[in-house]
Amino acid sequence: MRFTVGTDVGGTFTDLWAIAEDGRQAVIKVPSTADIIGGIEAATREAAALFGLPVARFCGAIERFGHGTTAGLNALLTGRAARAGLITTAGFGDTLEIGRMKRQVAGLGELEVGDYLQRNRWAPLVPRRLVREVPERIDRTGRVLLALDERAAEQAIASLAAERVQAVAICTLWSVANPVHEDRLAELVRAALPEVFVVVSHEAAATVGEYARMSTTVADAALGPVVSTYLAALDERLVTLGLRRPVLVMTGSGGVVGAAEVGRHPVAALMSGPAAGVIVCRDIATDLGYDRVLTIDVGGTSFDVGTVVDGAAVMRSQVTVAGADVHHPAIDVATIGAGGGSIAGVRGGALAVGPASAGADPGPACYGRGGTLPTATDADLVLGVFAEDSFAGGLKVDRAAAEHAIATHVGEPLGLDLLDAAWGIRAVLDSRMADLLRSVTIERGHDPAEFVMFANGGQGPSHAWALCQQLGIATFVVTPTATVQSALGTGVSEIRQTSGRPSYVRLAADATATEQQLAVLRTAGTQVRDDVVARLGDGPVSVALSVAVRYRGQAHHLDVALPDGPLDVAGLGTSLRAFETDYESLYGAGAGFGGAGFELLSVRAIGSRPGAGENSARPADPIVREGDREVVFDDPAVPFTCAVYRTGFPAPGQQVDGPALICFPGQTLVIPPGGRARTDRRGNVVVTIPVEAEKR
Amino acid sequence: MNEQPGPVLYEILRNRLVSVTEEMRIALQSVSGSPTVTEATDFFTGLYVPDGSFATMGFQVAHEAPVVGGLIRHLTSSGRTPIRAGDMFIGNDPYVAALHQNDVQMACPIFVGDEVVAWAGVMAHETDLGGMNFASWCPGATEVFQEGLRIPAVKLVDRGEVREDVVDFILAASRLPTALGLDLRAFIATLNVATARITDLVSRYGAPMISATLHRMIDESEAALRERLRQLPDAVVHVRDFLEHDGHSNALYTVDLALTKRGDAITMDFSGSSLQAPGFINATRPGLQGGITGALLPAVGFGIAWNEGLLRPITVVAPDGLICTAQYPAPVGSATVETIWTVTNVVHRALSLLLACSPPHAHRAQGVSSGTMATFNMGGTNQYGERFGLHLLDPLAGGSGAYAGRDGVNAGGPPAVPMPAIADVESNEQASPLLYLYRRLRADSGGAGAARGGLSAEVALTVHGIEGAEALVMTHGAEVPNSTGIFGGRPGSTVRQRIGVQAVAGTRLPAEGPPDDVTDLPGEWRELGPKPGSLPMRAGDVFAVRWQGGGGYGDPLSRDPDAVAADVSDRLVSRSAATAVYGVAFDGDGRVDDRATRALRRRVRAGRLGAEPTAEPRPDATGHPIGPGLRLLAEDGEWVVRSSAGAELARGGTAWRAGATSRRVDPSELGIDLHEQLIMTEWLCPLSGESLAVDVHRVGAAPLEELMLEELMPEELMPEDMLLDL
Repeated sequence: MRFTVGTDVGGTFTDLWAIAEDGRQAVIKVPSTADIIGGIEAATREAAALFGLPVARFCGAIERFGHGTTAGLNALLTGRAARAGLITTAGFGDTLEIGRMKRQVAGLGELEVGDYLQRNRWAPLVPRRLVREVPERIDRTGRVLLALDERAAEQAIASLAAERVQAVAICTLWSVANPVHEDRLAELVRAALPEVFVVVSHEAAATVGEYARMSTTVADAALGPVVSTYLAALDERLVTLGLRRPVLVMTGSGGVVGAAEVGRHPVAALMSGPAAGVIVCRDIATDLGYDRVLTIDVGGTSFDVGTVVDGAAVMRSQVTVAGADVHHPAIDVATIGAGGGSIAGVRGGALAVGPASAGADPGPACYGRGGTLPTATDADLVLGVFAEDSFAGGLKVDRAAAEHAIATHVGEPLGLDLLDAAWGIRAVLDSRMADLLRSVTIERGHDPAEFVMFANGGQGPSHAWALCQQLGIATFVVTPTATVQSALGTGVSEIRQTSGRPSYVRLAADATATEQQLAVLRTAGTQVRDDVVARLGDGPVSVALSVAVRYRGQAHHLDVALPDGPLDVAGLGTSLRAFETDYESLYGAGAGFGGAGFELLSVRAIGSRPGAGENSARPADPIVREGDREVVFDDPAVPFTCAVYRTGFPAPGQQVDGPALICFPGQTLVIPPGGRARTDRRGNVVVTIPVEAEKR
Repeated sequence: MNEQPGPVLYEILRNRLVSVTEEMRIALQSVSGSPTVTEATDFFTGLYVPDGSFATMGFQVAHEAPVVGGLIRHLTSSGRTPIRAGDMFIGNDPYVAALHQNDVQMACPIFVGDEVVAWAGVMAHETDLGGMNFASWCPGATEVFQEGLRIPAVKLVDRGEVREDVVDFILAASRLPTALGLDLRAFIATLNVATARITDLVSRYGAPMISATLHRMIDESEAALRERLRQLPDAVVHVRDFLEHDGHSNALYTVDLALTKRGDAITMDFSGSSLQAPGFINATRPGLQGGITGALLPAVGFGIAWNEGLLRPITVVAPDGLICTAQYPAPVGSATVETIWTVTNVVHRALSLLLACSPPHAHRAQGVSSGTMATFNMGGTNQYGERFGLHLLDPLAGGSGAYAGRDGVNAGGPPAVPMPAIADVESNEQASPLLYLYRRLRADSGGAGAARGGLSAEVALTVHGIEGAEALVMTHGAEVPNSTGIFGGRPGSTVRQRIGVQAVAGTRLPAEGPPDDVTDLPGEWRELGPKPGSLPMRAGDVFAVRWQGGGGYGDPLSRDPDAVAADVSDRLVSRSAATAVYGVAFDGDGRVDDRATRALRRRVRAGRLGAEPTAEPRPDATGHPIGPGLRLLAEDGEWVVRSSAGAELARGGTAWRAGATSRRVDPSELGIDLHEQLIMTEWLCPLSGESLAVDVHRVGAAPLEELMLEELMPEELMPEDMLLDL
């Protein structure tokens, strides 16, 4: 018997998903541990027990072990990254400090922005005293205006050594146009400090714009030692348990890579968990024939949304983490602070929910761990969505505590009775989540009603019906593995590599490129293609090239596909027409302004090797009726008596009509009145609900 | 309104309306072709109720919020133009409703049936709208006719149809028609987004609900601000700031504010300000309103949703014909960065002094932030052979003022821009024919104090890839320290603009890197003063500029010596300033020598007083604190102001300067250049030599007693240990 295993570590729970050759699956959630690895070991042992095997035999039979982690993110957020120094062009050592003036307001919410005492929440990743400037200068065309002063470089390196840095980031102006100085600086650092982790910006983030490039480089430098150490320790523990395969690590771009590569370029894995969930849902959706998908993940503190359009996950090139702009192509996951732990209260005479969260500790009032403020989970308990015994890990909760918290902090101040107050908490939370769903669809020119929703995370399956109703979405899908969807993703995702190179080409309105301009693009295309092929190693691979295009003078670009084969004027013309079409669908007919001409910024390759292949799951569980419960849906005055069902991996072809609840381990699927759920051949539950298309 | 949303629906609708405003921003930034919009933040979006009050606003240029409302009021009150569904209006006339001509705004009514439920508004700074000089800032102008095109209030979209004839007419006036053309499309896209979203909300929840929500948002903010104002003392606060050079001569102008706060309302009286200038620095009344808004919202609107409700408790008194209420046809082309900016400075300072006297809010009293914005525009033919225009936003990166116990943000910028951004050096070099020698923080530019003002950034650049281009350079605050400190905190440095002709001839960059003092480069260096105006620049000429650091808070001699040492090792403060200004002595290893520091600080105070101090400052002195060095006490049934060392400075009122010792401050050690009509006076505790205030004032005019308290905050709102028994 062979196994495929995926793991994902969050702040509250460590998730594990495993599948055996014969199609049996395991869904496991254990509390996360401070060292992360302890939780993974516990989950692995639990999985072995579930399959009835000694842990050494189970681990020895694992063909593929996938892993997603927020270790890097946590190190950044909690300031536990390595001590890193930075070497940059003389005259520009304050680039991180000035932070395009944006750094000071990074991460602030609507009302916080107007409170200037909240500014500078995040310090630069490298403090001013660990920044060294060296004389050198290259211009935008790549011409060396001032040669690198090697003596000054050696002095800078020596003084960083005296500061006992563990890592050195190297980022000079226009290194993406000509990397000669960065490469030489890296040689000098490696020669002088062989133990130190070195990152050069033209490799870490091959993009024009020094602030994001420098932030990414120092993030890689500060995280590299931490993440490498962590992954080595994880590998060692798993080998001790009996694992024979290398650990594959999920990246933000929706594929897995070897652990060593993540150790070299850790920002690639910063937001890996949510990306893994999006990729899994895309694959299931493709299988079911849906090509427009919204994936939601509702956890304790955050609400994550991914978008799939025409069968492809929407990507982005930059994200702001811990105040730093980090440039790395990744699945675009929008997020707000809204989840089961979001705290409700009264602000300015109105009911507000979140973004503050009670987290796992003290947690919602009903957990009885010292939390006294009402949360969305408390509201769901009062509304009947959850029973006192339906929480993950066998947690028993206190309904009376939830009622008291809601009455005290929401009901009484607003003059609402208990059910009205609890319903209000959910309505406000759902509306904030719906706003995010609108913004990722409508702002990009899509009608949300044309999408199917995939509901993931512990609380996604219980909120999906309400979000679909608000957005006019008629179908949502809940998989039996929804609560550990990201873990599953790390187990099955393809192996994927990306590579980008700037290739600045400026075209007039007629869009005719000169031979010289085409050569710039061809050279960049060859470089990035060779790069991903080399990194993917032997075996069958596929590579897709794209080019970043914008109208001249604009700041926002779109990535459009480049044709296969040698690039010519006609092929580039096809790509530019695709750009104009995409642009108008985003910003409305007539918004495009080809008269301004075009700028082509960079070329990117995405290469992949197929993942775990065909899903062999054989779900066979019945959906068993357990009893009834009163649940509030749209009107707190009229609760419905709901049938309550229980299942695990439901067999195909079963049907449940709403109002009803289906309890899975770790998740509760809510089917509203008039809704109908059916299981497909893989045990996924497809729910259709009556909606009035949102009037727009 | 008879129909009101409940607490749940209200929160849902409020969130939606805030999201719509954010969507407007995204649409504008996505479609615009101006780097001032796409990479930087010189723009505005907002939603308005039909009377022109703003209900929501984006976090870019807060100056603009009330001004689009003025455009709406003009349209609805004149009755000359029919207003129909699908119409959009454009305007930029400061004598109708605009800050200055470059700030082009559009607004559209959002109809439900025959009723207007709301208006949407948008603005962006356009680099050129014609006039005598490139960039439409015309130092030589004597009348508004010589400046950029004025568009009073013109229908640009008529019932959904773009009036291309009017578009052509507007573009014909500009030296940069392509960028302006793209931005007009962006404005239309922005208003389309707002219209579609509001119409959607109306169809779902009904017009009365949306209307009630918009009005309630404004009412709630007003109520919250009035509640906050009750926690501030009743007082008259009298402050002044200055700006130099009107484009024709280096005359000095005053913006004078007498702010009276009583109960839950404020009156701002600008009657003491200078008469309007013959040059382009004037502001019209909409500019005055904008300048007030830019400081009021952040200073007292923290934690409250920003909208017109925050302006309702404010009454403005300002006769016609002042520099801040200029009358037609005075030139006003640089109003935003001149008089409007200075209005923001005085409002910010006056409100900070009030906050300082209220125990719950005293930690929010702040030195003035980035009290000027130097302008660098450039036009010509770029490295790609195209006509170009650059409006550099880097000068936003002045320092922010210090708060009690909290240093100002380095390159934090001014109060009126809540979410600032500037472009990367590489982006600027790619888009425009520039080569930067440096963009860095300027050591010692932050105003010294117990809490230090934020440092200003500075840049030096040359033109690159072309032979030459025409720059337009102007500022105020080169000879006026606008970023004043508070309670003995020093002002931040003044602006310094210089040009080095052929300083890097042949793009030969200095082998050792850019020098600390840019004039160490070769070439012929020249100080440009505040307003050199048009300036030809050839490849190899270097333009170097630094802006104002933020104002400091409290006496620099009371700054934690270890914090000073950290500033020195971070190169934010020079070793010499650490010793001369902060009075910190170091041992041979560069560590703080505590004993020598105490002795040095005493010597510095003796130097200030011209005599040995007879007492030490006592940070823990009892009484109601007014900043770190002053205490308000009740003695024999009347108010007494004492220094922390116990010297009686005033009795029966808070005019404490009368009892303090004064001395003239040498500006040079603070990186400050002073206009010939200005001096700086420092006020000291006569016993200890503790610095209590540093005033900038005209030669021959006595400094103002800035803070005249009438009543502390109501007793029932006062923390118990702060009660004064009168």
